[in-house]
Amino acid sequence: MNWDWQFTFEVVVPRLLAVVPVTIQATVLSFLLALVLGLALMLLRISPLRVISIPAGEIIEFIRGTPLLVQLFFLFFLLPEIGIVLPPLTTGIVGLGIYNAALCAEVYRAGILNVPAGQWEAAKALNLSACRTYRDIIIPQSLPPIVPALGNYFIGIFKETPLLSFLAVAELMHASKLIGSEYYRFTEAVTVAGVFFLVMSLAAAALVRFAEGRIRGRILH
Amino acid sequence: MTQPKIKFDRVTKRYGPLTVLNQICLDIDPGELVTIIGPSGSGKTTVLRVLMTLESIDDGVIYIDGEPFNKMRAGGALAPASNAHIRRLRARIGMVFQNFNLFPHMSALDNCIEAPIHSLGLARGEAVNRADELLDMVGLAGLRSRYPSQLSGGQQQRVAIARALAMQPEILLFDEPTSALDPEMVGEVLQVIRDLASAHSYTMLLVTHQMGFAREVSDRVCFFDAGQFVEQGPPQELLGSPKNERARQFLSKVLEAR
Amino acid sequence: MTGRLMAIAALIAFLLGIVVATFSETRIFMPALLRGAAVTLQVAGLSFLLMVAAALTAGAAKTSPFPPVRWMAGAYIEIFRGTSLLVQLFWFYFVMPEFGVTLPAMAAGVLGIGLNFGAYGAEIVRGAIQSVPKGQREAATALNIKPLHRLVRIVMPQAMIIMVPPMGNLTIEMVKATSVVSAVTLVDITYASVQQNQIHYRTVEIFMVTLVLYYCLSQLIRFSMGVLEARATRHLCTGH
Repeated sequence: MNWDWQFTFEVVVPRLLAVVPVTIQATVLSFLLALVLGLALMLLRISPLRVISIPAGEIIEFIRGTPLLVQLFFLFFLLPEIGIVLPPLTTGIVGLGIYNAALCAEVYRAGILNVPAGQWEAAKALNLSACRTYRDIIIPQSLPPIVPALGNYFIGIFKETPLLSFLAVAELMHASKLIGSEYYRFTEAVTVAGVFFLVMSLAAAALVRFAEGRIRGRILH
Repeated sequence: MTQPKIKFDRVTKRYGPLTVLNQICLDIDPGELVTIIGPSGSGKTTVLRVLMTLESIDDGVIYIDGEPFNKMRAGGALAPASNAHIRRLRARIGMVFQNFNLFPHMSALDNCIEAPIHSLGLARGEAVNRADELLDMVGLAGLRSRYPSQLSGGQQQRVAIARALAMQPEILLFDEPTSALDPEMVGEVLQVIRDLASAHSYTMLLVTHQMGFAREVSDRVCFFDAGQFVEQGPPQELLGSPKNERARQFLSKVLEAR
Repeated sequence: MTGRLMAIAALIAFLLGIVVATFSETRIFMPALLRGAAVTLQVAGLSFLLMVAAALTAGAAKTSPFPPVRWMAGAYIEIFRGTSLLVQLFWFYFVMPEFGVTLPAMAAGVLGIGLNFGAYGAEIVRGAIQSVPKGQREAATALNIKPLHRLVRIVMPQAMIIMVPPMGNLTIEMVKATSVVSAVTLVDITYASVQQNQIHYRTVEIFMVTLVLYYCLSQLIRFSMGVLEARATRHLCTGH
């Protein structure tokens, strides 16, 4: 094996560093989209109307039961056909967001089901409105299991961003592939990309733990 | 003078800053049934656990039949025991646990033949025959193919006793064998232990809170408190008129509660 | 019961799909998709075997009393979970030749996916082993059972019951993840759909068929895991 340090530091590292912001952007925006969309899906899922809750449940199951990459390709080819032309990065963020929204919806739901039935009954006995019941009673109590799970999905989304390279989004994996085929030197390009992912996922995990600690201190007791 | 079957020689066990066994000494003669009583959390169970090698000890030596157990003789000195040495002597000891610890994925019979086949190297047929005899002896002949979840607590503990006996031990340790049982099942387990004590020559070490039973079957009762054997003697004497103040307090509380 | 129903529904959908493929114009792309599906199944099946083997080995090693064994297992788990699956696939296919090991695409794909998911599975196995009550190990020691025999005959059978449901979910994730194997030039069902779409421009039909096939597969796994779990726990509930 011949590892070329000069090539590593003059070509690979700068070019990979240049696209790190794209990966971060994709991660953060998809996560925010997933949080909001997941909430909407969850509300449909727990609707008392079965014509709404059952299809919503099936859609969530379907999204969870099929590969993200196929969904990304589907969106990537479908959107232009129905007249929506988006940059690949945006398509990718939408795809990541929808996929993870299905996961988040289940997390939210599990959190809410986790609240003991007695709490609902107590709220009813105190004659609280549905809105106040959710805001003051149910949501604060459902957060403990939700927050760490969402943190894991944040890291999960980060690890899924390399899939965007299939849509030719210029993120880390794509840049590494390009370097590899341009210079025909995959060793440095792929290994450095791996190190980037390792470092960034450790950093993301630390960030999530920190945020969890803050949120725990703020909302949970 | 006979060789003691089991000898604790200044055995010390610490958990961090807490000394659970503080230089304990105890000799048990072959065929003797010794009961250890004492307050909860005093460490009396630990006496059995270090003897069964479930816990390591920090200081001191345990002897089985005059042979060092946790150490081995190397030249004139004592060296740390090898696994083979421990396995050889451990084969003489059987243990019955408070929570039975039957293997839940095996039937009563399989529980009783697994170790004999694997550890003693018995042929399957022979192991099955002996397990059947033992299950018969503890009164469970018809339940050999039941799984532990399909047995009552008392039945499970009797299977556990048969399982320990199947290893042909010379020493039997009982760690609060009736503490996890519903009251109506205590009797059937005590009856099995009583039969073992009267009809066999096992050396037995029993930790229990059943004072009446201790008085009835023991050759000797030891009161254990704060990491040490505080007082020992014949059951009538120790349970009837203890000399030690802590033993007296403990016994009066226990007898009051009955 | 719902699992059984869903599996049956999934099978019916699958058969209907084949019928539709044979008798309508979907047949222009269906053969290529089914060839791709065969590749997907092959990668998934082989990766599953490797995943289970790696997970059991590394998971058991993580509970070993010998620190170096634990460290090695820990390093494997951290490296394969921390770097992305795609990076690992590229590494096995494009970088390994640098070390003089040239792997066929199928081998690189299976190695990458199997080892990556094996690392996640190892954590499941470790957790399951550690959740077997301590008394079980003590009873085995008291019966003079040797450590390896104790792991294989006493601890593992009980840990299996605990690990089946999460392993089932992991297997579903693994099957879904096989969709990236085109990165090492394999033409699986996902890549076949992209190719067929570029030829025929029938986005909705092609991708719906592909998505439904994946969905059937993941429901089938869910159903099989349900059966396995019921079998594994059959004598843990009271009854006859």
